[in-house]
Amino acid sequence: MDRRSFLALPLLAALPVSPADAAPAGIAIVLNSGDATLSLLDTARGTEIRRVPVLREPHHITISPNRRELLIGDSGGNEMLFLDPLTAEIKRRMPVADPYHLAFSPNGKWLVVTGLARNQVDVYDAASMQLAKRFPIASMPSHVAYSPDSKVAYVTLQGTNKVGAFDLERLSLMWTAESGSTPAGVVWHNGKLLCANMGTDFVAVMDPADGRVERRIRTGRGAHQIFPSPDGRVLWVNNRVDGTTVSLDASTLMPVRSYKLGGGPDCIDFGADGRLWVTLRFNKSVAVLDPATGSFETLAVGRSPHGIWLTQPARAA
Amino acid sequence: MTDPFTLAAGWLQETLLLPALYQLGLMQWEEISFNWAMFACYGVAQVIVTLAICMPLERWRPVENWPDQKAVWVDIFYTMLSRIGVLPLVTFVLFYSLQVSLNGWMTDHGWVPPTLERLFPFLLGQHVLSFICYAIILDFAEYWRHRLSHRFAWWWALHSLHHAQRQMTFWSDDRNHLLDEIISVVWFMVIGLAIGIPPLQFPLLVLMLRFLESLSHANARVSFGWLGDRLLISPRFHRSHHGVLAAGQQSANYGAILPWWDMLFRTADFDRAYVRTGDPGAEELMHTGTYVQQQMAGLRRMRKMMKRRSAKPAPARAAAGGAD
Repeated sequence: MDRRSFLALPLLAALPVSPADAAPAGIAIVLNSGDATLSLLDTARGTEIRRVPVLREPHHITISPNRRELLIGDSGGNEMLFLDPLTAEIKRRMPVADPYHLAFSPNGKWLVVTGLARNQVDVYDAASMQLAKRFPIASMPSHVAYSPDSKVAYVTLQGTNKVGAFDLERLSLMWTAESGSTPAGVVWHNGKLLCANMGTDFVAVMDPADGRVERRIRTGRGAHQIFPSPDGRVLWVNNRVDGTTVSLDASTLMPVRSYKLGGGPDCIDFGADGRLWVTLRFNKSVAVLDPATGSFETLAVGRSPHGIWLTQPARAA
Repeated sequence: MTDPFTLAAGWLQETLLLPALYQLGLMQWEEISFNWAMFACYGVAQVIVTLAICMPLERWRPVENWPDQKAVWVDIFYTMLSRIGVLPLVTFVLFYSLQVSLNGWMTDHGWVPPTLERLFPFLLGQHVLSFICYAIILDFAEYWRHRLSHRFAWWWALHSLHHAQRQMTFWSDDRNHLLDEIISVVWFMVIGLAIGIPPLQFPLLVLMLRFLESLSHANARVSFGWLGDRLLISPRFHRSHHGVLAAGQQSANYGAILPWWDMLFRTADFDRAYVRTGDPGAEELMHTGTYVQQQMAGLRRMRKMMKRRSAKPAPARAAAGGAD
């Protein structure tokens, strides 16, 4: 615990104890993949409340279908952490092989976990957390998206420049298709698959039936991750090499505005006030961006911050 | 706000490494390149700190004075290759796939690599304490790696390059044969799979340990006293290991940081002090050759040793005098 944490202790002690009141302003949970910690930030004050140690390399975070738990994959530690979605308190831990990126299917039945270092895609039964199927696959499976009917999971394969489609009913690989160099983030959007290719400057628009690339949207060098805004009107793309985050019109997919953040922008979460919280991998900070004005402030966190989650009462059960 | 190492590594990553990886179509290595940038920045700091402390020490209380220090330059080159991260980068890239395959194989067999913190949960969050535990285990492993590198004739042939330096200074710590380095990487990879070594999790503490290793090679009359020499390895203690009489397949004082293992396994020698260093059995190029000449000489010596497969380990004096 660092000195700032000690200074924050009296503040924490003064807070009411019921979960609903414990974090009235909200907490930003930042996964510091480079120094095996979570930074908990007070979203209202923009200050770090405390650092929570984990085992090795926390990368991504998601919420359970019943919204009662946040799941964090610690890939280097081979461990899944389960947190209270309001207080960010770690409730339990579970050994899981190389959990890099993770996402629940829209129907809540499946949890797909990518093992980037181990070249494997694991499909878990979400209710029991039992491994239903492991797909060894080349190579570097990175991010996950689903079809809205939860029948297919799509995984980017960074090492082979492909996207793989997995049939979740038959638990089989349907197809793999080239998307562009070093694909990373992937989302389902208006009946298409959008795939950000980090080795290029574009997002590929793919046919989810066979992976054919229909269109390329230029966003910036090192297109890395795609995040739909909560209202669904904007898609945000982070470009790792250019250090920009770019807004796309969700209906036309045309770029609207580019924001230069620097620092290797990676994951985004959205504040209730409309501001974007963006992790900056290379300078130990999170940028809080006001998209209306383009101004942003940076908050110090741990080394190589990756996943981020803003706790808000409306997002928890 | 941010620490200078991250600032420097971030700058290196953003302005040089990422654009280069992007141009070369190698963006899948971008996380590794950032880790390397961090490693390189800490490496530069290690060199600066070591230089700032060890150089005045060597001038203040030198064990030996040499008319010129030409033979030291090659050790500086070894240090740059190793500490700035060129060698670690190469070995990491070479062994990354192997490590991934091993990890996957173990997981397929239901064996998720453990970590000390999982075995002893009280260590979680106790960074200094868990680092000390890891450091002790790794130092123990290093003792045995080092001892075995003297025991097997072919391995000693490679490791003797480290011992060939007659002008031993704090720069000599990284003077190693490339194959010896690779064996070392594999050795610690296996240990890492067994106990889950956290990479770059304790950079400042690692910096301190690497400093101690460099210091132990310094050409300086420095001892930590009767008790101190039994707690941490001093230049006096380690110099005995580099003495001409200890250059061979049976030696003493194999430890890197802690002398405890030498004391436990009865290989400690606290009596000899500030001896002359070098390996009389090594060909001259291993002493005074260029980097490439030294590497080739190491290979030649290994080939000769392997031809003598039936030869039994020689005692220290005999090995020192005529192993080659």
